[in-house]
Amino acid sequence: MSTLGLFDNDYDEDGFRRCSVTGLNVHRTVENLVKLFGLSAVVAMVIGGTFAFFVAMTRWEVIGLLEAQDYYVHLTLHAWNLLIFWMVFMEIAVLYVGGPMVLGRRLPLTALAKTGWVTMVVGAVLVNLGVWMTAPPDTAPLLTAYVPLTAHPWFYAGAILFILGAIVAAIPFFVTLWREKRGQPYKTLPLIAFGAFATSIIAFEALVGGLVTFVVAFLWRMEFIGWMDAAWYRHMYWTIGHSTQQINLAAMVTVWYFLTHVVGGAEVVSEKVSRTAFILYIFFINLGAAHHILSDPAVSTGWRIWNASYAMYGAAFASMIHAFAIPAGIEAGRRKRGLGGGLFGWLTSAPWNNPVFSATVFSIVLFGFVGGITGVVMGQLQVNMTWHNTFATVGHFHATVALGTTLAFMGLVYFVVRTMFLRRFVFDRLATLQPYLYAGGMGIATLMMLYAGLLYGVPRRTAEVVENIPGTEFNLAAAAPLFAIFGVFAVIAILAGAAFVLVAVASILVGERVDGTGSDADIVPDGGATVDEDDPVHAYEMRGTFLLCLLFLAVFVASYVANWYLLTELWSVGL
Amino acid sequence: MTERSTGPPELGGPVTWIRNVVRRSWNDLLSVYYANTLIWRVFKSGALVFLGLFCWTGANLLLSYRPDWGILWYVMAYGFLLLFWGPFTHFVVVPFVIRMRKRGDGPIARFISRHGSKTNLTIFLILVLVLGTFPVGPMTFEFQLPSGSESSGDVNPQLQCTKSEEEVHCHLSDSRGIDQLVVTSSDRTIETVEESPFEFDVRIDELESVRGQKQFTVELRDSDGQTLRRYVRVVETIPGE
Repeated sequence: MSTLGLFDNDYDEDGFRRCSVTGLNVHRTVENLVKLFGLSAVVAMVIGGTFAFFVAMTRWEVIGLLEAQDYYVHLTLHAWNLLIFWMVFMEIAVLYVGGPMVLGRRLPLTALAKTGWVTMVVGAVLVNLGVWMTAPPDTAPLLTAYVPLTAHPWFYAGAILFILGAIVAAIPFFVTLWREKRGQPYKTLPLIAFGAFATSIIAFEALVGGLVTFVVAFLWRMEFIGWMDAAWYRHMYWTIGHSTQQINLAAMVTVWYFLTHVVGGAEVVSEKVSRTAFILYIFFINLGAAHHILSDPAVSTGWRIWNASYAMYGAAFASMIHAFAIPAGIEAGRRKRGLGGGLFGWLTSAPWNNPVFSATVFSIVLFGFVGGITGVVMGQLQVNMTWHNTFATVGHFHATVALGTTLAFMGLVYFVVRTMFLRRFVFDRLATLQPYLYAGGMGIATLMMLYAGLLYGVPRRTAEVVENIPGTEFNLAAAAPLFAIFGVFAVIAILAGAAFVLVAVASILVGERVDGTGSDADIVPDGGATVDEDDPVHAYEMRGTFLLCLLFLAVFVASYVANWYLLTELWSVGL
Repeated sequence: MTERSTGPPELGGPVTWIRNVVRRSWNDLLSVYYANTLIWRVFKSGALVFLGLFCWTGANLLLSYRPDWGILWYVMAYGFLLLFWGPFTHFVVVPFVIRMRKRGDGPIARFISRHGSKTNLTIFLILVLVLGTFPVGPMTFEFQLPSGSESSGDVNPQLQCTKSEEEVHCHLSDSRGIDQLVVTSSDRTIETVEESPFEFDVRIDELESVRGQKQFTVELRDSDGQTLRRYVRVVETIPGE
């Protein structure tokens, strides 16, 4: 494990070392596996990001890089590598950080963790090869390999292996928590461990559902099963198809709490309230998958109404709690350090040069304002019909995943580079600018996707968009200005993604080594300024956060009203 | 410097309270407008670009439904200009005004420091009025179908097939707008038809099996070779003997 000197930190005879940034006792087993999963995630990101270029340059029809058939293969590889592999590898790392690392334990069953990693890697390679080798009569499946459409058998096999590997890799995390609670049954878990635990429950449900789905589909594809119910497949598929993104959400929120505290000096305003929000996620967040089959004849009206209203409000309410609790924690924590400075001084005096902090905060802001609001709006039974299968849907999940989760995970990778690989960032200025470039570029590209879908009903998944839809009266040429902006900013976002990989990998390979205490001023809050732990956080003002939340609610209401207005116009209600 | 709240603030009457809130809000607004650190400039420019995009595209959208709402032209112009003017103001004008304020020498510097921001905002608002009254092409989206389109309507015929013991026979319900029909099974081309009415027969034993089911694909193309429609047919599901 000492390849290239990447796994050779100084540990005591029990295998522990004290992290000078977080103050946590870190065991060798945890740290090495976090590094391994993190690096694997970055490799998946490189592959997915490369395909992003081809996808974006095809949808920007002025360039029109690929033919329709090739486009769908590239789109599938883009989606699987970024939506699944980059995310899930990182999420296993999040579980190890949130579990054994935060609890100061060694990672149990490391052989199992490594077996899980190997299985996941083999699965990811098989999916990539299966999709790349797709030839008629098979079709590239994107993420919805709807039966009875057939995909390459390696695709199903790879998906099964990857899911199985993720479940196996998560077992050591569960064992850690079991041992922790067995030893101290009345002691509550730290909030980060609690968040990771909630994430793991959501993940377990999604992954087991996915395993059932893809195993049956594989048996069907290999002709061991003669017939498969397409409606059953669709329903089962969405237990993993959308719920993997809910794992991202819960993991991302956990990372928000962790990184804003460690590098931004945030405090937890109310543990109970934040924990309650995580519990609401466990009950309700996976039901968000329902919006994919709201037009499906196989589900009842009651099912639709429950999932697209009451259940969704449970999840949205939880997100609202986090949306207030995290910035409030940053504000109160920074004011406690004497860094308030008026309404927003706590925010502007924050460590914006530190890419860990800026990536995390951009993730919070962009996820909330763009991804969260669009998710709630399009998740409703009625409004869903104006969004579904338009490019706006693609905009929504780029706002949640490509902006929210990816930015948070970028921050986490930077954090791992600095505190576990113990390397300073090379290309300092680029490291500082990278989250800004990515957030700006991807933010505007995402808005263009949303507008193109909502303004023109531009479809998703197709290579031809603006010039014409062949053989129809539809002509979407007027959407060209939006796609011109989309294309330019998509290129900026892809370059910023490449810059992230460059900075992270170069730092690990040739970055100056950090040699213990006294050299962490660049990463700890405000150069290491300490605060009185007994000083209650509630004594400090949070009016800046309050104002930001009011702004958020105003945007929410405006979006809500606008979407309902468009719906009424569509159906000419009252005429 | 800590900011602990030390107890309930003294409250005056409602008028005093409103006056205080308004004054404090105005001061907050001014402090945000003139905040000149790099992160503030990035924040303000980014927020204004997002607001500009929202106003620009939103006004365009609403105008497509409500062309009689004239005010939307000005919202559109405001959003469109904001895309450029927001970053320009906070990256160029505000830092320049502050620099002039610090130097303070000479009548020009004094004028700029006192009236620079007002002048900037005035020019911006005048441009909004001008562009809202005389909208330019790049600012407005086209929602109508292009006039004089050469399109001859939708090409969406039904592919109707029947099968006998050895063959499948298919034809289209309408052949307008179609230049070529190509039948493939797996990646092998079985038949190419270039004459209306685009009828064809395929031998069942020529077809490839997918999961034990014989199937074929029919692709309709226009004169540019562009695919118009694609149909997949499974022999088992085709009516016939």
